[in-house]
Amino acid sequence: MLLSLPILAEPQRFSVVEKIVFAGMILASGYLFWRRFGVVLNKILTSKKDSNFHLFPIGKRVWEFFWEVLCQAKVIRERPLPGVAHALVFWAFLAFALVTLNHCATGLGAGFVSPDGLIGRWYFYFAAAFAMACAVGILGLFVRRFLVRPKWLGEKLSWESGFIAFLIFALMATYLGSFFVADADTAARVLWWAHTLALLTFLPLIPHTKHLHLVLSPATIFLSRGSYAQIPPLSGDEDFGLVAGTDLTQLVSLQAYSCVECGRCTEHCPAANTGKLLNPKEIILGVRAYLNDLGPASDHPLLGKYNSQEAVFQCTTCGACEFQCPVGIEHVPILVGLRRGAVNTGAWEDDYGSKLFLALERGSNALGISPLDRDKFIQKQALPIFDGTQEYCLWLGCMGGYDPKGREIVADFARVMNYLGASYGVLRKEKCTGDPARRLGNDLVFQQLAEGNLEALAQNKVKKIVSICPHCVRTIQEDWKEYGTPPEIEHHSEFLARFADKLPQQSKDETIVFHDPCYLGRYRNVYEEPRAVAGLAGTVVEAPRNHERSFCCGAGGGLAFLGEETGERVSHNRAAELVATGASTVGTACPFCNTMFRDALAAGGEAPPQLLDIAQLAARGLPAGSSVIDSGLK
Amino acid sequence: MKIIVAIKQVPDRDAQFRIDGAGKWIEEADLQFALNESDAYALEEALQLKEKHGGEVVVLSTGPERIGQTIREALAKGADRAINIACDDLGARDALGVARLLAAAVKQESPDLLLTGLQSEDLGLGQTGVILAELLGLPHASLILHVEKTETGLTVRRELEEGWFQSIELPTPAVLTIQSGGNKLRYATLMGIKRAKTKEVRQLTAAELGVDATPVVVLEGVALPQKQKSTQILAGSPKEQAAALVEKLKFEVRVL
Repeated sequence: MLLSLPILAEPQRFSVVEKIVFAGMILASGYLFWRRFGVVLNKILTSKKDSNFHLFPIGKRVWEFFWEVLCQAKVIRERPLPGVAHALVFWAFLAFALVTLNHCATGLGAGFVSPDGLIGRWYFYFAAAFAMACAVGILGLFVRRFLVRPKWLGEKLSWESGFIAFLIFALMATYLGSFFVADADTAARVLWWAHTLALLTFLPLIPHTKHLHLVLSPATIFLSRGSYAQIPPLSGDEDFGLVAGTDLTQLVSLQAYSCVECGRCTEHCPAANTGKLLNPKEIILGVRAYLNDLGPASDHPLLGKYNSQEAVFQCTTCGACEFQCPVGIEHVPILVGLRRGAVNTGAWEDDYGSKLFLALERGSNALGISPLDRDKFIQKQALPIFDGTQEYCLWLGCMGGYDPKGREIVADFARVMNYLGASYGVLRKEKCTGDPARRLGNDLVFQQLAEGNLEALAQNKVKKIVSICPHCVRTIQEDWKEYGTPPEIEHHSEFLARFADKLPQQSKDETIVFHDPCYLGRYRNVYEEPRAVAGLAGTVVEAPRNHERSFCCGAGGGLAFLGEETGERVSHNRAAELVATGASTVGTACPFCNTMFRDALAAGGEAPPQLLDIAQLAARGLPAGSSVIDSGLK
Repeated sequence: MKIIVAIKQVPDRDAQFRIDGAGKWIEEADLQFALNESDAYALEEALQLKEKHGGEVVVLSTGPERIGQTIREALAKGADRAINIACDDLGARDALGVARLLAAAVKQESPDLLLTGLQSEDLGLGQTGVILAELLGLPHASLILHVEKTETGLTVRRELEEGWFQSIELPTPAVLTIQSGGNKLRYATLMGIKRAKTKEVRQLTAAELGVDATPVVVLEGVALPQKQKSTQILAGSPKEQAAALVEKLKFEVRVL
C-alpha cells in the first residue's frame, strides 16, 4: 500500500558550484538573521536584571510552555478560527524541523534521512500531512488579514505579513510538489532550489518583523513573572518604577520584542473600546521603539515621545489585555510600572490624583471623609467590634465604610452573617488598603497604608478576613506581601457560596445578569461562587462578555477617583450591554462596579433594571426578624 | 531667594480627642499627627517661588521628637534642609514664647522671605507669624493667597471678606502668613522621601539659642465642647410644619 504512494523527490547530485552557492546562501541568510537578532538579544540581555525573578517552582512554567506554546491552547481558546489556523502553521513548523535539517544537509551532500527508507517515508508523509494543514492555515490567515481585515490588526495592511504568508505557502507547496516528480527530473531540482530560496529568505525576515515572536515568545511564556498581573517590588533606593531605559528589565524588554501585534489586547481593552488614547498594543510597541532607538542604557524618559502619560493613566488595570495575550506579555506590570515612574518621581500632575494621594497621606480613606463617619455607621448598624475572639474580621474598606451604597451591601452581608450565626467583628479603625495608590503607582502612600494596616491587624490578632470588595481582597492578599504576611482573606461571594445551601431559595422568576468584577474574575479566578449566590434570588443569565472576558466597569486602577473620562464612559458601555440582556436585575459583587453602574443605569433611560450586590440578593430571602440557623459556624 | 517656612505639627483633625490627666492638654498617646494645613500651603508657595526664581527653602519648626516625621515629609516635598528647635511642652507655650524661639533661629539665617501658615489647626491663635515679624523688625502681611516676586520686592494677594481681594506691595525681607487654598498642594513621592534622607536637619535647643521662652500667657485648662441635643416638634399642618422647618434651616441652622 505504502509502496504505491509517491516518494519525496530529492535532486541526487549537487555540483560543486551548487554546493558552494548553497553554502554561501546559508551563510548570508544566517548572517542577515544574526545581524538583527544579535542586536535584539543584546538589548534584552543588557537590560536590568529582574531582581525578584525565580525560575522555581519550574513545574508551572513547564506546564504553561506545554499548554500555551506546544498545544497553542490560549491562541485557540480566545480566537478559535484564526487560532486553529495559527496552530496548524505552528505544528507544521515543528514537524518541519527534521525535514528542513535534512533538506539543508542534502544540499551539502550529507542528507541523513533517505526518502525511500522506512523512517524517511513515514516521516515525510507525516510532515506532508502537516504541510497540507499548514497551507490551509496560512491561506486562512492570509484571507483574514487581507480580505476580512479585522480592525484589531491595525488599519494599515501589513505587506510584510503578506510576503511571509507567501513564503510559508511556497515552502509547503514546494515540499508537497516534490512528491509528484522523480529525483532525476529537472523539476525536482527546481523545487528543491525554490524551497531553499523560500527558507533562506524567511530566516532573516524573522528578526526584522513581528515574526520575531517565533523565536522569542516560547521563552517569554516560559519566563513569565509567575502570576497574573503581578506588580514586582521595587529594588533598591534608586528604583522608582519605569522611568527611563535603565529601568526596563530583561523581562520587559523580552516581552516588548515578543509582541506579534495581533491586537487581542486592544480588542478587549475598555479604554481602547471607548475612544480613549490608550491602546495596550501601542504601549508595548512604544517600549519596543524606545529600545530600538535608544536602548536599555538610555536615561531618556520612557514617557513622552514613545508613550503618552495620558494614555498610561487611562488604564483601569482590568487586565483583559494580559489575560488575552498569546505571547506572554504582562501588560499590567508594564502599565503600572510606567505610572510608578511618573508618580514616584512627581512627574504626574493631576488635580484629582493629587487630591486622592493627599487624602490617603493624611486621612484614612480614599474618599477623603472623616473616619468619625465610619464610627457612626458602625454604631448605627450595631456591627460588632473585632476583639480577637471572633472567627472573622469583616473588612469594610473605603466603599463599605463610607459610600452609601457600599454600606447597604455591608449591612445586608452582616444580616446574612448573623442569620448563619457567624462570629465576626469590624476593626475600630481601618485605613484604605492602598489599592488606588498601588495601581496609580504611588509606592510611598501604598507602603504607609500597607504597613499601618498590617500592624493593626497583627495587634488585633486577626486570622481571617472577609470583605465585600474584590479590590481590598486582591490588595491585602497579594500586594501587601511586599511588606509582611497578611491574614487569610476571602471575598464575600466565596463565604456566601459555602453556605448557599443553608440560605433560603427565592423564586426563580427574576432574571439576574451577573457582571464579573475584574478583580474577582480574572484576578482571583472566582466565577461560579457569585453566580451560585445570585442563583438564590432568581435565574442567572449571562451578558455577551462574561467570565474571563468580562468588560470592566471603568473604576479600577484608581480611575474611580480621577476626573471625567474622555470618549464614551466605560461604565455606560458595559451597562448598556447588561441592560440589553433584558434581565430585571443587574447583580454585582464589587462596590466599585456597583457605584459605576448606579450612575450609568440612571443615565441610561427609563425603567432601568434594579442593581443589587449578591449579598443583597441573598439577604432578600431571609425571614424577617433576627432568626439564627445552625450553619455549623461558631 | 532664601525662604524659611515655619511649620507646625498638629493632631489629625479627624481624631477623637480626650483631655489628659492634668486637664491642661489633650491626650496625645493614640493621636496621629500631621502637618498643619495652612503651613502646607506656605510650604507649597515657597517651593513654587523657588522653582520659578531659584534659591533655597528651609523649613523651621519646634516640637518634640515626633515632629521628625513631619519634617521629613516637608523635605520630601522639596524643602532643601530643616532646622528644629527641640521642645517637649509645646502645648504649654504661648505664641510669644514660640515666636521668640523661632525668631532666634531665623536671625542666624537672615532669609529673604519668611512664611508661616495663617494659623494652627490645634490652637488657632493666628499670632505666631505676626509676632515673628515684630520680633525680627520686618514688614509683614497676613492672609496671603499668592506671592509674586518683583524687581524691588513682593506683590502679594490678600484675602478679604466676601470674595474681595487686596493686592499689596512690600519690600523684602518680609514675613507673610499664608491662607489655605491659594495653590494646589503637591503629593509626597517615593523619590522625595529617599532624597530627604540625605538632607540636613539641624537640631537646636532653646538654651543654645539663648532664648527664655517662659510663657506670658498661662494655659488654665482645656475642655471638650458639651454635646447639646434639643429636639423640637413642629406643630401645625404639614404645610405649616414645612414652612417652619425651612425657616429654622435658613436662620437657625443656616444650612439653606
